[in-house]
Amino acid sequence: MMPDFTDNLKPASPTGPDILNKERSQSDVPVDQLAQHLFRDGFMERQKRILRVLEKDVLFVKVKQLNLSRPERYQLGLARAKKLRRYADQYNWNNDERSMSQYLCDDVSPFMVHDSMFITTVREQGDEQQRKYWLPKIEASEAIGCYAQTELGHGSNVRGIECQARFDPKTKQFVLHSPTLTSSKWWNGSMGRTANHAIVVAQLLVPKARDTTEYNSLGPHAFIVQIRDLKTHKELPGIAVGDINVKYGYAPMDNGYMLFDNYRIPHSAMLSNYSRVDPNTCTYSKPANPAVVYGSLTAVRAAIIMHARLIMARAVTIAVRYTCVRRQFQDRDSNDPRAPELSVLDYPTVQIRILPLLATAFALHYTGAAMQALYQTTRAQIDKGDFGKLAVLHAQSSGLKSLCTELAANSIETCRRAMGGHGFGGGSGFIQLNHDYLSKPTVEGDNWMITQQTASYLIKRMAAAVANKGKPQDEIEQACRHWLQHEQKTAPLPVFEDDMMIVKAFHKRSRYLTYQAYVEREVNKRSWNSLLIQLRKVSHAESQSILVTNFHNALHDNNSGISENLKAHLQTLFQLFAMYTMDSDARDFHKAGAVSDADLDELPARIQELMAQIRPHAVLLVDSWKIPDFLLDSALGRYDGKVYEDLFNRAHRLNPLNELTFNPYYKSDEIVMGRGDDELKKIMAKL
Amino acid sequence: MTTPPQWVRDLKPSGPQGSELLAHERSKSSVNVDQLSTFLFTSEGLARKRRVLKVLENEKVFDKSQNYFAGRVDRFETALARAKRLRQLAVRNGWSNDDRLIANELISEPGPYGLHESMFLITLRDQGNAEQHEKFLKPAEQYKYIGCYAQTELGHGSNVRGLETTATWNKEDQTFTIHSPYLTASKWWIGSLGRTANHAVVMAQLIIGGKSYGPHPFVVQIRDLNTHETLENIHVGDIGPKFGYNTMDNGYLLFNQVKVPHISMLARFSRVDPKTNQYVRPASASLIYGTLTWVRSTIVMQAGGVLARGVTIATRYCAVRRQFQDRDAQEGQKSENQVINYTTVQIRLLPLLATTFALHFTGKAMMEMYGANQKKMSQDVGKVGGPERGAGPEETHSGSDLLADLHATSCGLKSLASYTAVEGLEMCRRACGGHGYSSFSGIGPWYADYLPTATWEGDNYMLTQQVARYLLKSARSVLKGNEPTNDTTFILTNFLSRQDTGAAFDVLGNDADIVAAFAWRSAFLTFEALKHRDEQKRPWNSLLVDFYRLSRAHSQYMVVKNFYETLQASPSATGLDAETLAIMHKLFRLYSLHTLESEASEFYTSSAVTVRQIQLCRTNAVMRLLEEIRPHAVRLVDAWSFPDWQLDSSLGRYDGKVYEDMFYRASELNPLNKVVVDPYPDSKVLFKKNEAAALKSKL
Repeated sequence: MMPDFTDNLKPASPTGPDILNKERSQSDVPVDQLAQHLFRDGFMERQKRILRVLEKDVLFVKVKQLNLSRPERYQLGLARAKKLRRYADQYNWNNDERSMSQYLCDDVSPFMVHDSMFITTVREQGDEQQRKYWLPKIEASEAIGCYAQTELGHGSNVRGIECQARFDPKTKQFVLHSPTLTSSKWWNGSMGRTANHAIVVAQLLVPKARDTTEYNSLGPHAFIVQIRDLKTHKELPGIAVGDINVKYGYAPMDNGYMLFDNYRIPHSAMLSNYSRVDPNTCTYSKPANPAVVYGSLTAVRAAIIMHARLIMARAVTIAVRYTCVRRQFQDRDSNDPRAPELSVLDYPTVQIRILPLLATAFALHYTGAAMQALYQTTRAQIDKGDFGKLAVLHAQSSGLKSLCTELAANSIETCRRAMGGHGFGGGSGFIQLNHDYLSKPTVEGDNWMITQQTASYLIKRMAAAVANKGKPQDEIEQACRHWLQHEQKTAPLPVFEDDMMIVKAFHKRSRYLTYQAYVEREVNKRSWNSLLIQLRKVSHAESQSILVTNFHNALHDNNSGISENLKAHLQTLFQLFAMYTMDSDARDFHKAGAVSDADLDELPARIQELMAQIRPHAVLLVDSWKIPDFLLDSALGRYDGKVYEDLFNRAHRLNPLNELTFNPYYKSDEIVMGRGDDELKKIMAKL
Repeated sequence: MTTPPQWVRDLKPSGPQGSELLAHERSKSSVNVDQLSTFLFTSEGLARKRRVLKVLENEKVFDKSQNYFAGRVDRFETALARAKRLRQLAVRNGWSNDDRLIANELISEPGPYGLHESMFLITLRDQGNAEQHEKFLKPAEQYKYIGCYAQTELGHGSNVRGLETTATWNKEDQTFTIHSPYLTASKWWIGSLGRTANHAVVMAQLIIGGKSYGPHPFVVQIRDLNTHETLENIHVGDIGPKFGYNTMDNGYLLFNQVKVPHISMLARFSRVDPKTNQYVRPASASLIYGTLTWVRSTIVMQAGGVLARGVTIATRYCAVRRQFQDRDAQEGQKSENQVINYTTVQIRLLPLLATTFALHFTGKAMMEMYGANQKKMSQDVGKVGGPERGAGPEETHSGSDLLADLHATSCGLKSLASYTAVEGLEMCRRACGGHGYSSFSGIGPWYADYLPTATWEGDNYMLTQQVARYLLKSARSVLKGNEPTNDTTFILTNFLSRQDTGAAFDVLGNDADIVAAFAWRSAFLTFEALKHRDEQKRPWNSLLVDFYRLSRAHSQYMVVKNFYETLQASPSATGLDAETLAIMHKLFRLYSLHTLESEASEFYTSSAVTVRQIQLCRTNAVMRLLEEIRPHAVRLVDAWSFPDWQLDSSLGRYDGKVYEDMFYRASELNPLNKVVVDPYPDSKVLFKKNEAAALKSKL
């Protein structure tokens, strides 16, 4: 690039670095202590170490990738995935270190499903022999896999999938078959071009007796199947497989389709840790608890929730830094005509969009941490053959997945828009983030659909509590009994007096909504379908109650080792999150008798006060999440505040479109100056 | 492309076919689609669309099937080829401006001539004098001059008065010097500027004798008319990839002391007298913002149609998609339920369906107001305006009631309408579940291209201050005892006279009372805000959230009012039969009551309705309306008459062949399936076939 007069131009003052320095100096938030508090288990040391590796490698430079076509984007994704895997071998990275490299690379990897669902399913659902056979091949990337459950016609309704696995007692094989177009596997990550193996979930059909053609349909089961040749990588005969095409995001991922034409696989292909078909007698043995098949889905949900907090923190980091640097209009009430313009973050209309989200990122963190702990303990119980806790976990994970991903996805858009016009630009760092993350509200259980699982569970526990027989089955039933017998009759809680009252108010409102839904369904016998909207509310109320409780518990954990100063900041964030959430559904709290009308009327003013308290600390609070510039990939959210310099650099120096001079006159078919109509011919050939 | 094996081609979707499901939907509703379409678009409008569509469908360059695969440079090149072809077709077929607009709608992709054909031509026409029309407008209309409208800068968007680019008058040689003193003065985001335009209307701070007179428009040549290379001391380029709009070359522009002649300053409203070196004021300071007001009006007008596209796709798809058996179904009724039968889907889609009509009718009314205002403005030209102007963005002059009304209305409604369309589109996409995430839903890319509407031509949050300021001023006038002069002062006066006797609107029984309840809430919030500002002397900044809510409330009132009044027109004016009209009334109630219920606390606090009414509204009225409108949903979206060619969506096809089309696009149109990859980490080969070696050089 030739030097030109623009090289000497500076942004008008005050400059971004000056502004952010001032923001940082005016706050007493102990950034490092807070970071230590948020990230345990060596997260930050790992981040630093792996960042150094990736930053040096040109393959991981992100700034121009938005210009690439879809095939190029997949190719780049594959190149990066291979490189990361080679680094993992070279540096002997463990699982945490590999995840960190994925996280920093920030591309959806074509190996992602191989590394998660594929290996997890084999580990959890394969029997000992299968594990022994497959796990070494998977770990060595000889078998590269995907997880084929969702179909063109069925997603949420797993029981409705149409792909069949019919057992043939003569050859002792299963016959995989796709009877309809809608039975095509669809959306399955890594399957389109990358994988040579797949876990295929299919309806298991077993002959009623050894020599009949009548079958028992035994529901969806998992099979491990080779789908491509290990040398040529061509699909095997009897299989049609490919990439499904362009999506809203996930460009580097080859989500695929797959169909089987009476494709035979050996008896050993059926993963048999829990259920199996005896090859000689054709008898089918059931799993101890049918819910167990959904175990790995529940694990995925827990991870999704942990991920959501980092996504939110990232969105808020960019938004807070940029809206401090960005200045627009003088204060209307200022009498000084020379006064500098206000930072955009000083406008309450901007604060109300960003600061509650900053608080929410912390709320998600504490619940994510609690969820993971719960999953670990439940996991241990499942291994011991005790499935009792799985129901509670599954019910809670559904509602929380729905609420948390919804919050995170919406926060990306809210932050992006709060940044005004520049939020729409490639330099915002929000484009790929938005595109990739927006799959979350509909993936792994549609957000609207799965709230039914939580609500259904809660209603059942409430019904048991009403019946009031014997000992309560779990803590939810116990809470329902407590509400029925005492809590529902108590006076509204003085939520401004004590944070514990806030927690209780959320509990009370959740129980109240559960009870209302119970009455409609069980007493008034309303149809399930007519209640769906109400059920979603029940689920969200319970999830919000969990978020508030975990946040509160963390602040009162005497072992947390955080200073009083930091605790005070966190408490302000806690109150902002809780009151903002409460204000959004104020009427429910009123009806539940949880909060008085007068207190609810006061909420907006309280929220504005809390935001004013947090405002001076906003920059250091987002700094504490320690999200490196490399990951942010954002001119607007840079740590150093050089917003305008970076935007200009990306536009001017890093933009391939500016390397061409076009012919704009309509009478000529020439597109690029000096190339005649060659370009037009090229374009037409592609259409 | 790749052809799948025979056994794949023989497969059909299971269960009832999409085409059967949609045919059944259409057979059970009596909504008269033709009448309703004609009511929305007029029969000339519909004929125009059919005629233009026929031309475009036969041009290969407009084929949409490969749009989503290409990289940024390829996409832009194709867009330029399309823009040229479209212009050639317009000339050859003698297309009118309306024909051209329809063609753009059908192509549905921002093009490199976009800003030339809108803001550039309009600004030259509206703000240029006769001599300037001859010098600039004529060649621009012939596409010899291709232009753009350069207002927004890297450092300033909403705050137009804060622009940093300067135009300094040189009395010695009677020229202006255009200059960019800072990096933040760079023009930014300007459509058609990056690679296409050879001229720009540049908004710059006019400086005469060291004194600044605020932003004014200058016509500046920026590229050579033959080589298309940038002129000396001008620096211009494309700003890079964006969230959407990647077929448009939004650009940046910097000037290094560039001299332009006196005629460059567009001088219809204000000018520099070259003899006296004096500045001649415009009739009204706000006149130069007339163009923005026009743009906002069209945004409101379009928002209904923009949203209708998402609603059409989601409604058809949710009627074809079936998932789970009804939990309460009798044993034996094995077939799965259409997704649109779930109330959680209905509560998302059907109020949006009602909203499409509400916005469309409101937009129509706005455009009529704009027309009336244009007439009045042209009568005002030449009158000298007062010197006083308050602080803040785009302050309106207090002279004309109509102008103030239009400006406030356009701000509030632009904010509400574009916000509603943006939120609604994403809601539609998510209502389509997993398949909504595919580009072939047709919603995601459409959403991405529409998104900037929420922040451009006035950020949606910033704009609401204009509405609040206008309402406060009106309220002060009413408190002084002035007679009401327009609808706003009328509802404020009405509120004052009844505030001690109470409201008691029958919102569940009477449609006129619904409108009155919305007016009541808006008036209540206006006087509340006035109390905060004038009595309690609260800082302006601390009231912004209140102002946002106030603007939203007032705009919702106007939408409800316009919807209601449209349906009150005589049957001959609407041309709708009784059954269709009855459904439209239900849609009016659904929009109004669903809004009322979502904003319940404001209605309750203002005493417009009781808590009991809100509760009944939620549990009974809205749920019943969903049930009553549900059977007509498919026909109602049909009335928006989007051709499949325009929708470009597998999910939203008129014939319901959702799965066949998804599969066809994936297996046969997908360039990625032409490559065979080498997936093993230890091998550096990526694509066994079609190895693109130059990848790294592109990074």
